[in-house]
Amino acid sequence: MGELVRVEHLKKYFNTPAGVLHAVDDISFSINKGETLGVVGESGCGKSTLGRTVLKLIDHTDGKIFFEGKDITNISKRENHELRKKMQLIFQDPYSSLNPRLCVYDLIADPLKTFHILKGEERQKRVFQLMDEVGLSKRFTYSYPHELDGGRRQRIGIARALALKPKFIVCDEPVSALDVSIQAQILNLLQDLQKQLGFTYIFVTHDLSVVRHISTDILVMYIGVMVEKSPAKELFERPLHPYTKGLLSAIPIPNIHHKKKEIVMAGELTSPINPKQECRFAARCPFATDLCRTQVPTVSEVFPNHFVSCHHVREINGI
Amino acid sequence: MSLLDIKGLTIHYITHQNTVRAVNDVDLSIDTGKTLGLVGETGAGKTTTALGILRLIQTPPGKIVSGEILFDGKDLLKESEHNIRMIRGNDISMIFQDPMTALNPIMRVGDQIAEVVYLHGDCTKEEAKERSLHMLETVGIRAERSTEFPHQFSGGMKQRVVIAMALACKPKLLIADEPTTALDVTIQAQVLKMINELKAVYNTSMLLITHDLGIVAETCDEVAIMYAGQIVEYGNLEHIFDNPKHPYTIGLFKSLPSLDKDVERLSPIKGLMPDPANLPTGCKFHTRCDHVCEDCKAIEPAYQEIEPGHFVRCLRVERGEI
Amino acid sequence: MRRKKETANIENMEMATRRRGQWRDILGRLFRNKLGTLGVIIVVVLLILIVFAGVFTKYDYSAQDFGSRFLLPSLEHPMGTDNFGRDLWSRLLYGGRISLLVAVVAVIIATGLGIVFGSIAGYFGGKTDLIITRLMDILMAIPALLLAIAISSALGSGPIKTAIAISISSIPHAARIMRSTVMSVKGNEFVEAAQATGSGNTRIIFKHILPNTIAPLIVNATLQLGGCIMSISGLSFIGLGVQPPTPEWGSILAAGRAYIRDFWPIIVFPSLFIVLTVFGFNLFGDALRDALDPRLKD
Repeated sequence: MGELVRVEHLKKYFNTPAGVLHAVDDISFSINKGETLGVVGESGCGKSTLGRTVLKLIDHTDGKIFFEGKDITNISKRENHELRKKMQLIFQDPYSSLNPRLCVYDLIADPLKTFHILKGEERQKRVFQLMDEVGLSKRFTYSYPHELDGGRRQRIGIARALALKPKFIVCDEPVSALDVSIQAQILNLLQDLQKQLGFTYIFVTHDLSVVRHISTDILVMYIGVMVEKSPAKELFERPLHPYTKGLLSAIPIPNIHHKKKEIVMAGELTSPINPKQECRFAARCPFATDLCRTQVPTVSEVFPNHFVSCHHVREINGI
Repeated sequence: MSLLDIKGLTIHYITHQNTVRAVNDVDLSIDTGKTLGLVGETGAGKTTTALGILRLIQTPPGKIVSGEILFDGKDLLKESEHNIRMIRGNDISMIFQDPMTALNPIMRVGDQIAEVVYLHGDCTKEEAKERSLHMLETVGIRAERSTEFPHQFSGGMKQRVVIAMALACKPKLLIADEPTTALDVTIQAQVLKMINELKAVYNTSMLLITHDLGIVAETCDEVAIMYAGQIVEYGNLEHIFDNPKHPYTIGLFKSLPSLDKDVERLSPIKGLMPDPANLPTGCKFHTRCDHVCEDCKAIEPAYQEIEPGHFVRCLRVERGEI
Repeated sequence: MRRKKETANIENMEMATRRRGQWRDILGRLFRNKLGTLGVIIVVVLLILIVFAGVFTKYDYSAQDFGSRFLLPSLEHPMGTDNFGRDLWSRLLYGGRISLLVAVVAVIIATGLGIVFGSIAGYFGGKTDLIITRLMDILMAIPALLLAIAISSALGSGPIKTAIAISISSIPHAARIMRSTVMSVKGNEFVEAAQATGSGNTRIIFKHILPNTIAPLIVNATLQLGGCIMSISGLSFIGLGVQPPTPEWGSILAAGRAYIRDFWPIIVFPSLFIVLTVFGFNLFGDALRDALDPRLKD
């Protein structure tokens, strides 16, 4: 399958009163059609900003974004508007992401109205079809979001994203606000839709078990930079970056026979404002040397399709 | 003898429109130094149970309809308001989910801890101050930070302060309501590790409310699974994790994406949690259960001990059919 | 094929009934609110009395009768007579036309412009916000009555001109409320969602932001109504607003001040009308705010 999205050296800086915040710093990746790139990281690591920058919902600072082989880095407002039909966003919070004054029908029909797609009965048919696709019963057509539970609200958000028949969807923590049993229903829905309609996803989350389940490749972010990227299963079987290892060991496993290597990482995320010329993980890394504290590591392909950004990746892993 | 013994606790929220049956006939017990995990989804009644133990249910609309809460042999429901206030914070303390709102933003963190100590312990202000510094050190915060304000701390650090405050009076029972849900995984691991260590040092019992079975596996001794205001299954870790009986417990496990096994599709529990103002008849879970039979819809299953220490509330398990 | 069409039609019908039901919902919620119903009744009764003033009065509002000055309320004169022997009841009913018309128009102008300025400032932020906010601050810095005097002496007298004059000084209030509400609504993810689905600024403002900001504005508007009635009287008092002998609540009240110790009806009844109007609109406004919010179904 061909490549749908490619991002090269993408940077997004914000000017804050305290200095320049490096939300996304020099990240490159590509996603093939019909595949899912999982983006994991802790809160404040820039993963949501990455998703929105790729969607061109916020302006990037530097780098290039390609969509369907076309450079969309510097497109006009009009082209960006047209692009909305092809790329969409699903939000984390099914409460604040739905306008409380609109009923389900109007919420789902909103994108169609914006683009003047379909009229009258045709539009109505499309809305009902979308509701059917995401598993929303017709009896909720004129319900308001506050009358529905989190899972159903998230289904509305998904239907709204599907309305314009996009090819590429960024899911920003779509199941984090939901209970486990509902979370599983929504994950299944997203996977089924991908199979039926051939979507390509970026799946942003902090939940590693979810990301393993749904992704083809996983990109691990730490304070704006990519520390590791590899096929999903490989990342869990053979994590190479010390941060990834720490992150994986920190997940509580619902299995009492699971013996885990205890790597409790000390400290917390350092500030992404005016970062120094160093490996950003150096402050928390048990293997950090002077080299790490003076030089930014480059990304290297350690195994096929397995990228790591660490000075000492080979020594640490004995390869 | 167990430190906390709850029998038949029933809490309703009564408004003029309806009655929300938040907690129905809950039995729980925690031994000294042990941790009980209370697991359930949003609206299962976990937090209401915890607030009920502290007698913090807002009345009206809330009402503890029946039951007894034996703490150290005394029934908390029969204690005077004054005694309860002395027990809160002193013998039983609580950690809330959101560390951001649990601290007073205009008070120095050291003073906040010292205040709790001073209110409950028979000590001078100086001693309280000293104790607060000691507690901060205990939770891994340097004592010189005691003069800082909450906004100068990160989320994980704030939760440490909250924990320091909760443990300052050496409570016998600590109720932790989703203490790490607002934190990142690596911070969560730090905080959980710290809670476990401190619990061992002070020999504190803990009621850990969570929706995360992974946390339960790592920190608890016993587990109670709650659904629609009832305990549907109760047992030690082996009972629940290796030999779950109730269809809801089994469903919860099947809903979780695994970190080591490849599952093409998850098998979620179908449907939604019933409205607690309008609970179904018979078994509360029958509307979502794969093993439902006609009797389930009519007969309310009893809370049965199926093997020593392993309780299940399911008709068909009781009859040995599943 | 036909069958498909039929089901579509049935769905259409269902939709139509449900949509109408939504309006019925709003009205239902409005009248389920007892205080709101009271507000509606007060407003409607006042409007009927004022609009059809001729039906309810038997005296000309400007007919002077020096033989019957300062009469206490009686069957003949339900609210007594004033210092010129004019029937107060007639004067108050006819006066309500001017007072209410001017006040309502002034509030509509003030709220309308407040919405425009406030939402532009709140939505776009940055320099636009800075300029608009400073302009509003300047307007606010000038005492309201002074501003109204200046504008109305420039425009001249007459109900609409008076309305414009007093509305100008009310704009900053509405604009400030609007600005802060828009800023908080803008922070919601559904606004970002609308951007993500390609909505332009106009659509976002009108479809997603404005409907979520009406609550505080309605309350503000109903509160300003009373202030406006009083402002009109202030202008009339110094000869800029409505010219005598045209009656108007504020000026009746102002004229009655001289007799406050000796003759109570001339103070009490105009005040009563003003208070009832403000009260009625206030209750109505509160109820309307709640009724328009689908989140408050019960």
